Amino acid sequence: MKWLLIGFIILQVGLDLAHSVTAFPFVHYGMFSESFDQPDSLLVYEVTVDSILLKPNDFRVYRWDMVQVPLAGFEQEQLGQDADSDQPKPGDSPALVEARLIYRSILPQQLENDDSLAIHFPQWYKQYLSRLLGHPVRTLRVDKAWYRYSNGRLQLLQKKNWINS
Amino acid sequence: MNYTRDKKTLLTVYFACYYAVFAFFFLDSRLLSQYQPIFFNFNHDLTELLLLATGIPKWMIAHPASFLYADVLVLLTPTLLLGFYIKKGRFSRLLGVFFSFLLGFYLLLANIFWQVHPEPFILYVLLSAVFWTKSEKGFYTLLSGCRYYFLYIFVSAALWKVLRGGLFNGGEMSRILLQHHSDLLTGACDSLSCRVYIFLIGHPALSWWLYFGGVLLEASFLIGFFTRRRDKMLLGFAVLFVVADLLVMRIPYWTILMGGVTLWIGPGSRRSPAGSGIIIYETTHHENLPALLDLCEAHFNRVVVYLKNLSYENLSGKGSPAQRWPRTEFVVQETDCPNRVFIQRMFSFGKKEGFSHLHLSTLDNNLLFFAYKLWINTELHVSLTVHEVNEYFALFFASLRDVTESVAKRILHRRIRSHTMFLPAIAGRLQQRLPGAVAVFIPSRFYQSQDPGDSTPTPHRPFRVVIPGSVDPNRRDYEEAVKFFTGWLTRTIAPSRPIELVILGDSNTPFGARIIAQLQNLESPFFRLIHYQGYVPELVYERQIETADLLWSPLKVNKKSSRNSPETYGQTTASGLTADLLLNNTPALAPSGFELPEAFRPALLSYSSPTELNAIFTRLLEDKAYYRELRGQIHRAFSFFIKENFNDAFELLTGLDQKTKKG
Repeated sequence: MKWLLIGFIILQVGLDLAHSVTAFPFVHYGMFSESFDQPDSLLVYEVTVDSILLKPNDFRVYRWDMVQVPLAGFEQEQLGQDADSDQPKPGDSPALVEARLIYRSILPQQLENDDSLAIHFPQWYKQYLSRLLGHPVRTLRVDKAWYRYSNGRLQLLQKKNWINS
Repeated sequence: MNYTRDKKTLLTVYFACYYAVFAFFFLDSRLLSQYQPIFFNFNHDLTELLLLATGIPKWMIAHPASFLYADVLVLLTPTLLLGFYIKKGRFSRLLGVFFSFLLGFYLLLANIFWQVHPEPFILYVLLSAVFWTKSEKGFYTLLSGCRYYFLYIFVSAALWKVLRGGLFNGGEMSRILLQHHSDLLTGACDSLSCRVYIFLIGHPALSWWLYFGGVLLEASFLIGFFTRRRDKMLLGFAVLFVVADLLVMRIPYWTILMGGVTLWIGPGSRRSPAGSGIIIYETTHHENLPALLDLCEAHFNRVVVYLKNLSYENLSGKGSPAQRWPRTEFVVQETDCPNRVFIQRMFSFGKKEGFSHLHLSTLDNNLLFFAYKLWINTELHVSLTVHEVNEYFALFFASLRDVTESVAKRILHRRIRSHTMFLPAIAGRLQQRLPGAVAVFIPSRFYQSQDPGDSTPTPHRPFRVVIPGSVDPNRRDYEEAVKFFTGWLTRTIAPSRPIELVILGDSNTPFGARIIAQLQNLESPFFRLIHYQGYVPELVYERQIETADLLWSPLKVNKKSSRNSPETYGQTTASGLTADLLLNNTPALAPSGFELPEAFRPALLSYSSPTELNAIFTRLLEDKAYYRELRGQIHRAFSFFIKENFNDAFELLTGLDQKTKKG
């Protein structure tokens, strides 16, 4: 038992040294550790349900997270499909890229989301929001808005409609 | 360390947090069956890629009912685990392993589907391995490992911030806040928290100090790798970190606090303040332990006794030692474990657990080993029961063993400065030999018998005389007893009352067999003999003493110790009689020259000749009023031997009196 623990700690430290790659349960606790530059712009998903804009202050932290997380995931998925998915993305470690390539060559189908995701996502998200908000959602609009921090506040640079359902 | 208590604490904290996590998952519509995902995310995790490669996540998307099964499994399995524990009092390894893998599997799925971010939940998986083990050692090893992991979470977080340069970026915290709260800041920003965030973003230098404070707080957990003494403080730091994280970052990281249980329980975690944990080593004279244990339980938060199995089984005549001293932990020496290994384990345990006190009720024949261990363990407060004063100071050089023991004694005299003895006169002798040392009198046991006036004497039953102790010609004059009973039973006058003689000790020696044979020759309707071969169990021993009408200790007042040092009973060494006497209020015969302190004196009937012996016997048997009054006198005198009257001596012995004064 003692040696298992020692082995675990060695692996954990090893994975920590490998930086961007993890292998559950060996994870990093390096959140907010990279040196941040001043962002040129900040992307915000603005969700409007039945003509009412959802605001983070009206939600518990994790409920608001659940409004945002599917959108971020969906966008990531779209970006991945747009680009050559075998190409490394910023932040990917060589080990991860290699592992993904091996997996893709062996089990290509398992590592791909459904091709029809782009079609089904708006409807699914609307249904999920209905469950989350506790009432049926009739209309849904999601905008991508880019802001810039200037003079002590965020100024809108651009807004683009993304989802309409 | 209390295994049962710690297991219960862990189970309570673990599953309270576990179900709280899932309750919030439910409230935030995060359970898989609530989320009903139709796509998965790629994270930078090899295990997740492996899981994706199995096709399970994709299959689950195609079969949404499987999300409900996953939720039900992850919520119900702990009830099976707990049900098994409650029923059997131990964990089921099969269920434990299943639960760990299930939890890990669920977390992977949750991260793949809705980005749970498993970091704060890793300890839930790791700690669940505790449910795999049925052994105490395994339990504490895992608990200790998980404690290190809990510390590692914070320390590695600090290291990341240093090594990746976040700490050296003056605008770091300002930019983190800007990015992290961007959705909050785009609105009206009229809440207090939003205005504070805007203020901090606008003052990068000030917010950097918050970042620096966070890194410092995380780095402070490094201390936990070197000592457990600051665990409570670290637990407080963990709470502080979580509160600060919620206020500044709006991250409810409370789930990680479950790992704080590893700082609360486990080996040495609930270490008592200095002076409140004592280990007692006793492998030879367990009959002298009861009073010491009573006092230890009253003065120390933790009491651990290292003893042999025979001692454990015979420590308490009535009930098991665990029942009689429920707050004491007993560590029993296995039959195949040599004394030296046992002693080594005791010192290792004491060091690991941070015990401050050690009482040696015996030194076995391991004087040099004890001397060495005590010499290097300088922080321990050590006390010693001295059984034979002259022997303890005698130095011999005739053999190698003599030389090593003599050297050891000199070390022990310097190292051990607190001593206890079973008679005040012996304590006085020791203080003469070791000026400045503490030497106190604490009896073997405390007196707890009923007033003899309360009991109804049984008429016409034989007069029971008990001679306690092994039939050893060096220590007792059994010939004198044989001679007396021969004379008593062959008198021309018939005895007024039959006598039952109990030789209460091992008579399985040539000498013992001869004595028994001589006494058996005297058996008649007026004389019955009871004798034992081999070790007399404590229950039998105590019952015989308690039902005796007279104890007789035909001591050879001047005897030789095991190493041939001259000893005098009552002056330099104690007889077992002083322990036996306190089991009841029975008078005791002993040859003159054997002296006992005031409180014992009413019980002591001294004789210096056969004529005196004869007279004492005659009066005891025939003068019932005298006998009844004598027992009453003894009872009143023995009432002195209660725990409360020896608290001061015990505090002096253990140095707790100094602590009280300082306090």
